[in-house]
Amino acid sequence: MSSKFAILFLAVVAALCAQETPLDPYNSVKINLPADSPLTLISANLGESHASFRGSAVVLDLKMALTLRNSSSNRVRGVTLLVAAQEVTPGGKASVSVPSLDVPPGQNFPVRIDLRLLRPGQMGGPLVQVNLDGVLFQDFSFYGPDRLDSRRSMIAWEMEAQRDRKYFKSILASRGLEGLQQAMRESLARQNDRPRLDVQVSRGRAVSAAAVPEHNAQFAFLRFPDAPVEPVEGWAEIAGNEARNPRIDVKNLSSRQVRYVEIGWIVTDRQGKQFMAASVPASGLEFNLKPGSKSRVLQDTALRFSKDRGEPVFIDKMTAFVSQVEYADGKIWIPNRESLANAQLLGILAPSPEEQRLTDLYLKKGPKALADELGKF
Amino acid sequence: MTHPSQSVLALYAGKDLGWFARWRAERHLAGCRQCRDEVETFASLRDDLAGQNELPALSWRLAAEMKANIRLGLAAGECVRGEQGAAPLAWLSGGRALAACASVMALLVAGMFLERPTPPLQPVAGDSAVLRATANGIELNQGGQTLSLLQGPAEKVTYSAGAQGSMRARYVDSDTGNVTINNVYVQ
Repeated sequence: MSSKFAILFLAVVAALCAQETPLDPYNSVKINLPADSPLTLISANLGESHASFRGSAVVLDLKMALTLRNSSSNRVRGVTLLVAAQEVTPGGKASVSVPSLDVPPGQNFPVRIDLRLLRPGQMGGPLVQVNLDGVLFQDFSFYGPDRLDSRRSMIAWEMEAQRDRKYFKSILASRGLEGLQQAMRESLARQNDRPRLDVQVSRGRAVSAAAVPEHNAQFAFLRFPDAPVEPVEGWAEIAGNEARNPRIDVKNLSSRQVRYVEIGWIVTDRQGKQFMAASVPASGLEFNLKPGSKSRVLQDTALRFSKDRGEPVFIDKMTAFVSQVEYADGKIWIPNRESLANAQLLGILAPSPEEQRLTDLYLKKGPKALADELGKF
Repeated sequence: MTHPSQSVLALYAGKDLGWFARWRAERHLAGCRQCRDEVETFASLRDDLAGQNELPALSWRLAAEMKANIRLGLAAGECVRGEQGAAPLAWLSGGRALAACASVMALLVAGMFLERPTPPLQPVAGDSAVLRATANGIELNQGGQTLSLLQGPAEKVTYSAGAQGSMRARYVDSDTGNVTINNVYVQ
């Protein structure tokens, strides 16, 4: 008899620990769209969302399918939603962006947000707030508070999309469907062969796991002929597989004022393999690069590199290049495809969002559907 | 020397002391002639009283009535005691008692767990926040609390890090065919 009671007791405890409750969307999520927003919220489906207990912690699995309508008179090219859970991670926030869109006025389109929050204790009140951060239109006009600098990001993605569509359209025009297929196969091969690096980012000074003495390592630079800003010199503190506090001096070669520079950071391991490590941005009120002047791109951060289930990647060399520039008037420069190919960066960098979309379309629907898609633009 | 009381010596003489009191009394009696004499006196008196119980002068009818009344009282007492205490104590023994206690404990723990007030969250130092890519998405861990943006069943996910404290996951949504870029920032 006592064993029956023990089994019953364990079952009760297990049921309490694994208790799942359906989520009340009105209490857990708040979606805020401004009154003058060019997007209208048609529906918010939280069908599979649920809260569960894991020990003494509460896990909120939020699977949100939003349907938005383009209520403006312009075609929407990209959307960024700001996702904030201040009660759970006071110093953190998230965003979900959908670039490479082509939504005509009056048409609905979906945005999915798949979020998980884990925190001790119980949850109460709206935990997650979803706000519109920005909408990019076909003519590069922008709507939104732009708290995440999404205007610049979405314009850069759209410029990359135009650059890559132009490249594939030129191949289609010169070498036909077969040439386009060949270009797609090459792109897929690059994506598959691209070395992947796991990067862990922490702000401020991190404690190194490796007992390796720290030293300053200098960056080597790749320079593009048409870049308006050039890197001059730079260092980062290296300890084993950890790099800290990158600082890179840059010079404005153009005749226009620059307010944002982004540096691409490549690390080479001891076997000579190159990985795209991170981007190092410089912006803010203090960053104001006048024509001909120099400034420093500086980040107080620590990056730890590993690959293949946590195997540390020990840094041998570092290379950097200017990957994005924003002028004071809001115009943006990105490297052209020829420069990337000449610098042998196409095999190291991730493809643009548009190239990723087009190769996915080619894989799922074939070269004819891809050619039709390119013909729309 | 402190001598045991008269009642203790009387009980000792009648072998009615508990084991510990008897042990103490025996230790004292081993070295105290006076108390040994007292015990012998109590013992002899007890024998005399037992002898007087058999005196023929007592009324046999009265004695029979007294015994019958005593037996009736004892039987009544047994009945009352049986109804009030014996049964629950017998049931609550061994494994059953353990299981009952465990169930009550589980109920109390569950009650505290479900109904306790939410503890105020401690502010977390900014430099303790860590961003990393996991198999399911990007995870921000800050003081044991996590925020993760997941990419669902997407196959090809491209991760990139920003040295300003951000992590980005880019994938093609299998249902919509749209590129989705998840970004998590730490300040």
